[in-house]
Amino acid sequence: MTTSHSGSARHKERLDSVAEDVLRNVRFNRGFILWMGFLSAVLLVCLYAYVIQLRKGLGVTGLRDITSWGMYISQFVFFVATSLIGMLISSVLGLIGYKWVKPIARIAEIIAVAFAAVAGLVIISDMGRPDRFTYLFMYGRIQSPILWDVTVVTTYLLVSLMLWFIPLVPDLAIAKDRLEGRPKLLVKVYEILSIKWVNHPKQVEILNSTIRILLILIVPLAFAIHTVTSWLFALTPRAGWDSSIFGPYFISGAFVSGTAAVIIAMYFYRKSYKLEKYLTDFHFEKIGRVLALVSIVYIYFNINEFLVPAYKMKALDSIHLQELFSGEYALLFWGVQLFGLLIPTILLLFRQFRKPLPMMVIALFVLAGSWLKRILIVVPPQAHPFLPVQNVPIQWVIYKPTLIESLVTLATLILVLMIITILSKLFPVLPIQELAEEENADLEKQEFNN
Amino acid sequence: MTWQFFKQIPMSEKKKKEVPEDSKLDDIVESSRRDFLKKVGIVGAASVTGAAAIYAGYRHEKEKPSGEMVKVLTEDNRLVEIPKEQVKDYKPDLKALQTRGRVGLKGKKWVMVLDLSKCRNARKCVAACQGAHHLRPYEYHINTLVMQESHNTPAYYMPKTCQHCDNPPCVSVCPVDATFKRQDGIVLIDNERCIGCRFCMAACPYSARMFHWQKPKGEEADKGQEYNIELNVPQKKGTISKCLFSADRLREGMLPYCVSACPNGVFYFGDENENAVTNGTTKETVILSELLEKNGAYRLMPELGTKPRVYYLPPKNRIFEFKQWTPPEYIETT
Amino acid sequence: MRSFFLVILTSLLLLPELKAQEWVVPDDKKGKLSTFSFDDNTRKAGLKIYTTNCMSCHGMPGKGNSLKLVPPPPDPVSQQFQKNSDGELFFKLQIGRGQMPSFKNVLSTDDIWDVISYVRSFNTNYKQLIMPVITSSAYPGSVIKMVLSYNQADSSVILETSAVKGLSSVPVTDAAVKLFVHRTFGLLPVDEEKTTDKNGKAVFKIPHSLPGDTAGNINVSARFTNEDVFGAVSMDTVLNSAIKGTAVSLVARRAIWNNMKNAPVWILLTYIIGLFTALAFIGLVLMKLRDVFIIGDTLSKGGENEVNN
Ligand code: SF4
Ligand code: SF4
Repeated sequence: MTTSHSGSARHKERLDSVAEDVLRNVRFNRGFILWMGFLSAVLLVCLYAYVIQLRKGLGVTGLRDITSWGMYISQFVFFVATSLIGMLISSVLGLIGYKWVKPIARIAEIIAVAFAAVAGLVIISDMGRPDRFTYLFMYGRIQSPILWDVTVVTTYLLVSLMLWFIPLVPDLAIAKDRLEGRPKLLVKVYEILSIKWVNHPKQVEILNSTIRILLILIVPLAFAIHTVTSWLFALTPRAGWDSSIFGPYFISGAFVSGTAAVIIAMYFYRKSYKLEKYLTDFHFEKIGRVLALVSIVYIYFNINEFLVPAYKMKALDSIHLQELFSGEYALLFWGVQLFGLLIPTILLLFRQFRKPLPMMVIALFVLAGSWLKRILIVVPPQAHPFLPVQNVPIQWVIYKPTLIESLVTLATLILVLMIITILSKLFPVLPIQELAEEENADLEKQEFNN
Repeated sequence: MTWQFFKQIPMSEKKKKEVPEDSKLDDIVESSRRDFLKKVGIVGAASVTGAAAIYAGYRHEKEKPSGEMVKVLTEDNRLVEIPKEQVKDYKPDLKALQTRGRVGLKGKKWVMVLDLSKCRNARKCVAACQGAHHLRPYEYHINTLVMQESHNTPAYYMPKTCQHCDNPPCVSVCPVDATFKRQDGIVLIDNERCIGCRFCMAACPYSARMFHWQKPKGEEADKGQEYNIELNVPQKKGTISKCLFSADRLREGMLPYCVSACPNGVFYFGDENENAVTNGTTKETVILSELLEKNGAYRLMPELGTKPRVYYLPPKNRIFEFKQWTPPEYIETT
Repeated sequence: MRSFFLVILTSLLLLPELKAQEWVVPDDKKGKLSTFSFDDNTRKAGLKIYTTNCMSCHGMPGKGNSLKLVPPPPDPVSQQFQKNSDGELFFKLQIGRGQMPSFKNVLSTDDIWDVISYVRSFNTNYKQLIMPVITSSAYPGSVIKMVLSYNQADSSVILETSAVKGLSSVPVTDAAVKLFVHRTFGLLPVDEEKTTDKNGKAVFKIPHSLPGDTAGNINVSARFTNEDVFGAVSMDTVLNSAIKGTAVSLVARRAIWNNMKNAPVWILLTYIIGLFTALAFIGLVLMKLRDVFIIGDTLSKGGENEVNN
């Protein structure tokens, strides 16, 4: 009797301290307002660029008949890729039973939601007639991979939102009484969103089973969205796209960029939200291993993707590969492969580099490399079609992104940052309830330190 | 089938006047000729109509007494008689143009044959096409390319249109049915529907498609004109355009713009169902299967399985020397 | 094919001479006249033919935008063009020379006259002379008739010619005749040129590679090669050749590239099943959330017991 009482008292204490630490950041402080103000200002400039594009047509971009997909589509692929991380962390690692993913899972879901939500907008920025966007639903042809993409991205977004929201419910219930001094409206929102959660055993049971359903459901969905995205390319006959391993190649690449994004976010939250207690070196060490692992898998697929055609050197493949290895795109290609993938992977194999700061730097390189890699996947295969390119203005032959195009691309990135900021400023970024219950965590940490 | 029927009417009418029976020959000739033209009038009008019943007017003959019956062709291809007073001129609206454009010409299977041994890069096909479709000099539905596989193999000119593939990868990927294949084999574009995603461009192995990156050339001039899906005019910003096999001309029984513009006899065009193609320059009609067989015809990139409807005759036995053409410097204009 | 090249080759070799040399029309052809008078209707018909067949080289009349060929195709409005007699124009259109194609197998006699009537409309000084009656110089005073029939057994077309004068009729013998099949864009010559036998008959073989329409009908025309002797007599008939054409629509079968109605079944099923499974799970999750809400709601109203049951 006494032990259980003291147990629940300790639990209460722990809950209070976790809630205190996490909820400290749920407020509209100066930093938040300045940051959002800055983002909005940049966004306005970028939106003006988009207005120009709307008025004058896609001619304001560097895209032309030869290379008709460029930065926008690369950005789309990058966004879809990065959003896959939600599935990897919370689902794959969570279902296997790794406890250390608990504090990271919500961060991963926030990233997933933000990137998946804006991916659709990126596609719209690439459309020649964005005003006809609704035609996709009115006249959609099921045979087109674009329709599959629209369908799975929407579904994935929904399920990711749920995976973010449902584990949040208990936290909302805990938090709604501890929000003194915050706007009334926010408290009201918490009240509604906590859907009358009282931590009743039956509620806990239902919630857990619901989460399990979602965790399973999201695996095929995530595979579907990125495989379908890879099919946008692989289903065409062009050299450089016409590859049967494009699906797994894309997915393994997606894990790399997503993990890098999570590491950067973790580092940021740890520092500016003062969550060192919860996002410990231990967590960084673990996620560092994940990044090393997925990078090695990705390297493996890279070897497959480039070595096999490079060995055979079929006519058009050889032109494409020469452009990458020693031609127009050589600098970018080797830069990305070395500094965005190979060197980071090697560094991550050493424990000294799996510390927060070095890893954050490595992750920045990996993320930038991932973005550029998408350009390398999308752009060069278009420059050398089956039939020669002749009798067109010379600027058409080589794709050079314009300022307007870059600004519109930037706009979508800013939207992602805004969504991430809002989600992590309005709601707790760490799972309060779970962390409070997490008694084994200390034990694990001890193990690790030995 | 439809077309043969059209053709019969004037022919059977015409023979009348060639067997003159009395001295008032002029009159007979005159009236049968007028009859003939009336019928051609019907054909012309009927062939440009799509929806509802077709009432083609007798524009040439306002003086005829009323109560008279006239013969007209209905949309379902029956020849019927109706009182002349009920005949109204019919101008197809957008909906009719779209419907008939999507259906295509029944019983036809258009096919094009290009004899590369005759192409001297006159580029008249390009000019005629760009004129008809309101394109800039560097915007192509048809482009003549210099082809040379290696320095040991011959260089030759190859006019390249859309191949109107029977297994068209571009159509497969279109998300909104904006590009589609018709029963007569033509792959068309509906720029009232296209969302400008350019997936079809990525998928087409023949680089046959172009995109309106900016305001099309004829935008101001074409303002207010009803959109004709078979001509793809007015062109629209932010949508795709490409070779249409001059579907509008075919509907009127004429050869495509490029085909009849070529001065060197490169193009043959016809109906595979009739197994005959007609040369656009000499107007000579030949048997398709014989032409292909005797000249060792081939299709572009058959290994891709796209099954083009365009055949090429190899550049063999050319009677002229290949002259390298330096294209002018194309500058983008608005 | 080879002979075609030879023609072009010789014409190319002769180019320099052709340039200087006038295009001489045989005297007996110069005086040929139309059998009907030119009017607005013939001019309209001529305009149509001109646009499809002539404009690509001769350009728009009066615009001087004809092609730069050797010898240059003259503008129909030009003096050089209009000084030709009707007969000369007719000859040149029908026979051709060098790059000017022969329209013999393409345009009927009437079509050619229509074109001439159109180009004459640019000449205000032009006065038309009409040939009063078509007479056959070989059978004076007779009307020449042709009858076509089809022989299923050996897929041949039999042409019977006769010269009718009053009630008597004699076969037209030793006349060169040609047979054409109508195709969408022109007349396709079939078999060789034949000469009528002593019964006035000629037999043409229809090759098996020539399909008719779906009912097996073909539209054929027969003509005398030498129209000056026999007059512009021709015969158009629909014959049932029994070689049925196919009219299978190219969009009839299910395929990925076809429209939604004709999409392959597997793709429709996969998509729909996939979508509905996902939606069903999402629905299930929403239901469960509702359950959570209901439990909390009941508890807050003091329904502890209800929940525990
Ligand atoms: S050539 Fe290209 S655009 Fe034309 S049908 Fe084939 S794939 Fe489509
Ligand atoms: S650009 Fe237009 S025609 Fe091409 S796939 Fe997209 S919607 Fe279809």
